[in-house]
Amino acid sequence: MLTQMHHRHGVKDRKDGINLTNLDDGQSGIIVSVMGGEMLTKRLADLGITTGKEVKVIRKTLFSGPVQIEVAGSKLVIGWGLASKIMVKSNER
Amino acid sequence: MSGDNKINIVLAGQGNSGKSTVFNYLTGLHQHIGNWAGKTIEKAEGTLFYRDHTIDVLDLPGIYSLTTVSEEELISRSYIIKQNPDWIINVVDSTNLERSLIFTLQLLELERPVIIALNMTDLAKRKGIAVDVKKLQNILKVPVIPTIASRGSGLTKLVDKVIDLKTDKSARIIHKYGKEIEQGIEELSEQLKGIDLPYPLRWIAIKLLEKDKDIRAQVSELKPQVIESSLRIMEELEEIHGHDSPLVIADERSLLASRITRETVRIAKDRKLSLNERLEALTTHKVTGYLIMILILGGMFLAVFSFGNWFSEWLDSIFLGWHDLWQDRVGTSFWPALGWSAIESVLALVQIAFPYILPFYILLYLLEDWGYIARISFLMDKFMHKMGIHGKACVSFIIGLGCNVPGCLSCRIMESKRERFITAVLVTLVPCSAVSVIVFGLVGKYVGLLWALGLYIFAAVLIFIVGKIASKLMIGEPVELIMSMPDYKTPNIKTIFSQTWDSLKEFIYIAAPIVIVSGVLIQAINLAGWMPAIASVMSPVTVNWLGLPAVTGILLIFGILRKELILVMLAAYLGTTNFNEVLTSQQMITLAIVSMFYVPCVATISVLWKEYGWRKALVITLAETAFAIVLAGLVKRVLDIFMV
Repeated sequence: MLTQMHHRHGVKDRKDGINLTNLDDGQSGIIVSVMGGEMLTKRLADLGITTGKEVKVIRKTLFSGPVQIEVAGSKLVIGWGLASKIMVKSNER
Repeated sequence: MSGDNKINIVLAGQGNSGKSTVFNYLTGLHQHIGNWAGKTIEKAEGTLFYRDHTIDVLDLPGIYSLTTVSEEELISRSYIIKQNPDWIINVVDSTNLERSLIFTLQLLELERPVIIALNMTDLAKRKGIAVDVKKLQNILKVPVIPTIASRGSGLTKLVDKVIDLKTDKSARIIHKYGKEIEQGIEELSEQLKGIDLPYPLRWIAIKLLEKDKDIRAQVSELKPQVIESSLRIMEELEEIHGHDSPLVIADERSLLASRITRETVRIAKDRKLSLNERLEALTTHKVTGYLIMILILGGMFLAVFSFGNWFSEWLDSIFLGWHDLWQDRVGTSFWPALGWSAIESVLALVQIAFPYILPFYILLYLLEDWGYIARISFLMDKFMHKMGIHGKACVSFIIGLGCNVPGCLSCRIMESKRERFITAVLVTLVPCSAVSVIVFGLVGKYVGLLWALGLYIFAAVLIFIVGKIASKLMIGEPVELIMSMPDYKTPNIKTIFSQTWDSLKEFIYIAAPIVIVSGVLIQAINLAGWMPAIASVMSPVTVNWLGLPAVTGILLIFGILRKELILVMLAAYLGTTNFNEVLTSQQMITLAIVSMFYVPCVATISVLWKEYGWRKALVITLAETAFAIVLAGLVKRVLDIFMV
C-alpha cells in the first residue's frame, strides 16, 4: 500500500517516516530507517547513510530517474528504487 | 644501520581521495588514476629513496570500507594485518571529511600505526571548508598532515614524519561505542583470548557483531563457542535498538564521524551560489542537462573525426611510398609480401591509434577529470535501467564509440558480473571509430548524411532492444546506481595525459599482437590464392541474401582485422574510390549495416576472451555475425521496396 501513495506528507511508515523520494528538491530530513538487505544497508552505511543522519534531496529527475542527495557532507547519486527504501522524517513544517 | 633504513608503507583510502596521485608522486611509477570508485583493483607497488631510506610503498585498492566484504576490501584488510606495514597512510579527502572518517575509524580499529594525509586542502579552502588539523589530531590520536597531492605539497612532510617516527608502537585509545555494544565487545574479547588469529581481539569481536562472514568462519573453526555467545549478544542488541546489530554499529560509527566532523570542520556561512553550483544545476537539469550533453558529446565526436580524418590522410601521404620501397628493396615474392603485411598491420594500427583513439581519450579524460562523466551517468541512469544496467554503463558506451577494446575493458567499473557482461555485449554493438569511417565514407558521402545519422539512430535502437532482451535472459537482480558526484574542478593536464597514455598503451598491448598475427594469416590465405574460392563459398550469403558483389565476402574477412579495412579493400578490389559508380545506395547501406554489427574485430574478441572466457567470446562472435547478416538482409528487402 505504501508505495501506491504519493502524497508528500501523507505516506506513513513505521517510525513516522516518509520515503526520500517524497521530499521535494532542496528539502531535507532525518533518516529514521533504511530498508533493504544486509549488503545494501552496509554499503549505504559506508557512505554515511545511517539512521539519525540528515539527508538533503538536491534534485530529482523526471520519470523516477536517479536522485541526487547530500548526506554526510558529500554529494551522491542513488537510483530511485534505492531512494524509496530510505525513510526520513521531513525537516519541513 | 642498514636494516633500519627500510620502511614499509601502504596507502589506504576511499575512491577519489587522491590516493593514486600520492602514490604516483611518491614512487614516480605511472598508474591509472580514475574518478570511478574502486577502480584500482590491481596491486600497485613502488619504491621511494629518500634521506638514506628505502621506502616501499603499496597502493591498496580504493575502497569505501572494511566491512562490506568485497574482494578489494578483503585484500586490503588481510594485507594490512599480514604484512604488518610500518605505517598505513590514510589518504583522506578533506572536502568529504565526514564520509572519509567512517573509513578512518574502521582503519583505526585494526590497531595498526596510521598517519592521515588530509588531502585536497586547496579544494576545501575554495569551498570555504576549514579543518582544524590540531583538533583532529587530538581526537583521533594519530598524526594528521595537510596535503595537496596534485601539486605535491605536504608530501615531503608526510614522508619526513614517516621516517622520523619510524613506527608507532604506542597503545592507542580507540573510540568507544555505546554502552551495550562495548559490553558485548568486552565479553567476546575475553572469550577470544588465546585464539590463533593475527587480528586484534577487539577487532575480531567487533567484526563478529557486524556479522562478518570471513571472520565468523575463521573463528568458528577455532573457538565455536564464541560464535554462540556472539549470537546471543547480537540478539540482545537487536532487542534494545530495534534493528540489526551490524546496523547498530554502523550507525554509531557514522554518527561518531559526524560528531568529529562537527567539532573540527567549519564551513564559511556566507557561501553564495557559486559558479560551480550554477554549472551543476544547468548540467543536471531536466531540459538543459540533456541539451548540454548532446552538445558536448556531439562536439567531441565532430572534433575527433575532423581531426582524425585530417591526421589519417596526412599519415597516408607519409606511408604512401613505403610499400614500393619495400618491394624494391626486399622483393615481391611470397615471404616479402607476407613480411609487408605485418608492417602494414602496424601502420594501420598507428593510423587508428593516433588520429582517432588518442584525441578521443584526451577529450574523454578531460571530461572525466573535469567531473562531467558523472553527470552523464546521472542523466542516463533511468534510460540505462531499461536495459537492466545502470548509469555508469554509459561511460563504457561512450568509450566504445572511440574503440570497442577499451570500451569492453571499462566494463570493469560495473559492480556485478551480470552487469559487466551485459554492458560488454552491448559495447561490441556500439559503432566504433573504424565503423564510423565506413558509415561516413560510404553512406554519408554517397547516399546522404541523413542516412548516415539514421544508421546511428538505428544502432542505438538496436542496442536498446538487445539490452532489453539480455536483461530478461540474464538472471539476477539489476544493481541500483550508487555513485558519488564529484564537484566540477579544473582539469589537471598531467593527470589527463598520464591516463591517456595508460589507456593507449593498454589498447596497443592487447590489439597489436592479435592484429599483426591475423593480418599475416589472412594475407597468407590471400597469397595462396584461396580468396576467390572463399568468396564464392560465401556468395549464397553475400550475393543471394545480401545482394552485394561476391567480392564483399573477402572484404568481410579482412574486416575482422579492423573494420575500416572493408572500405580500404573495397577501393582496392573495385579499383575506384567513387563507390557510387559500382554500388547502389541500397548496397552501401546493407554493407554498412553488416560492417556495423557482424563479428567484433579481433582485438575486441581478444578482450572478450580475456575478460569472460573463450566460450562466451565465441558465442558473442557467432551470434552477432548471424544477427548482422539476417538483419542486413531484411533491411535490404525493406529498402528495395522504398528506394528505387
